[in-house]
Amino acid sequence: MEYAVSVHDLVKSYGGTRAVDGVSFDVALGETFGLLGANGAGKTTTLECLLGVRRPDAGSAAILGMDPRTQRKELFRRVGVQFQEARYQDKITVDELCRATRALYREADDPARLLARFGLGDVRAQAVESLSGGQRQRLFVVLALIPRPEVVFLDELTTGLDVKARRDVWKLLREMRQQGMTIVLTSHFMDEVEELCDRVAILCAGRIVFSGTVPEAVASGPFGSLEEAYLAYAEPADAADAVEPATPATAGTVATPSTAAALGTPATAESPEGGTRESL
Amino acid sequence: MKAFSTLFAVEFRLSLRDMNMPIFAAIMPVVVMLVIGMLFGGQPAHEGAGYTFVAQSVGAVSAIGICAGGAMGLPLVVSNYRYRKILKRYFVTPVSAGTILAVQVAVYTVYALVSAVLVFAVATLFFGFSFAGSWPAFIGSYALVCATMLALGMMVGGLAPNEKVAGVLASVLYFPMLLLSGTTLPYEVLPTAVQRAADLLPLTQGVKLLKATSLGLPLDQAIVPVLVLAAWAVMCAAVAVRFFKWE
Repeated sequence: MEYAVSVHDLVKSYGGTRAVDGVSFDVALGETFGLLGANGAGKTTTLECLLGVRRPDAGSAAILGMDPRTQRKELFRRVGVQFQEARYQDKITVDELCRATRALYREADDPARLLARFGLGDVRAQAVESLSGGQRQRLFVVLALIPRPEVVFLDELTTGLDVKARRDVWKLLREMRQQGMTIVLTSHFMDEVEELCDRVAILCAGRIVFSGTVPEAVASGPFGSLEEAYLAYAEPADAADAVEPATPATAGTVATPSTAAALGTPATAESPEGGTRESL
Repeated sequence: MKAFSTLFAVEFRLSLRDMNMPIFAAIMPVVVMLVIGMLFGGQPAHEGAGYTFVAQSVGAVSAIGICAGGAMGLPLVVSNYRYRKILKRYFVTPVSAGTILAVQVAVYTVYALVSAVLVFAVATLFFGFSFAGSWPAFIGSYALVCATMLALGMMVGGLAPNEKVAGVLASVLYFPMLLLSGTTLPYEVLPTAVQRAADLLPLTQGVKLLKATSLGLPLDQAIVPVLVLAAWAVMCAAVAVRFFKWE
């Protein structure tokens, strides 16, 4: 099977700390994949290693079967990226930024059309720095979509958006997905993840502690919602206080994230629903 | 080509909006030319000289725009774009590092040309200057000085670990060259010891070349500055491209 994104045993350390500690996952073509985790869990570092912006210490990453460092130009004709922090030149206008971005591609969508669809048609002449946080966020999603990407990476795409704007962005992303676009996103909002993602991976301290679908995550323990499941995996120390250690459906074969973390024993198990989870 | 021309148009407009380059590369050389013209008028450059002080200064003052772009504008913009992660955003697009650098070089080349045209216009209109040198030799020299200074700026912007260091390096390059290379203060009025030190700056060699070619003086010793400048240009450009960092 051909994957849109393939990550194998990625390791990246800063100083003595391992920010990413052996992360592996695949994203199928046309899938929407969510990379979840607390601040500092390694989401952005994973994305940056995957995109080739940072050189991993070990492991490999490929997008559309290409190496992002050696095949950079060819690859990024077909891939769009929205980074967590919006970066732009001083005093540049929305229109200038869109034109400059459009000019980097041979084939691209019409920026004016995308701006209008994201509700930014009226601010085209304005300086990017004069936009509200939500408008700027949407603008950078527009920039990521300009090349009509086959795969798009969105790092915290709706942070700073109001309720209506978030819903609008979701709707547009669902349309893009229907057209076959593969989406890799990070998010802190579990309602957004439930709404958009086919599959998720939860990172904790640089390792993937759960990967599977949203229903699998909820069913993997005594969780009433994705948010509870997420907290148990992503914040094991807190979750141990808040939630009683889970009783696994098939007792004895599945280590719950909180108990596994408490015991400090490595455990990998296949949950009955088919989701894989790996705990420390 | 579309990427280059669009980025050039956008970046040039941004630099106009910023106002630093219009002031330092267009207004300042005009002011310096006016001051030199008003102070020295049609006086001969020195006793027995066959050309005026103004004529001697035109070639040198026309290099102020080159100095502003190469020693100040280019290092700052390259390090600023890396520091503010604008280059990181370019990394995830198909644009090449060469195109990004070439766009900035083109922006500062335009400023240099504008400053040269303005200086020649002021000297001609107000101070009766007429060009006595060789146009091909002068234009060739101007292109060489431009290439050297912009390559230097690209290298400094590329190597500086952050914007602050780039700012310090730019000042260390810009002010000595502006004052000692003969672009503002005439080289001829400097004490011999200072002239010796100034000779080490690449722009001093460039200004000598520009003066000689604009005055039509014999070029028997031109080979030295030409080689020095060309060596600087090649070395700096190679280092800038080799050590280009997106982040």
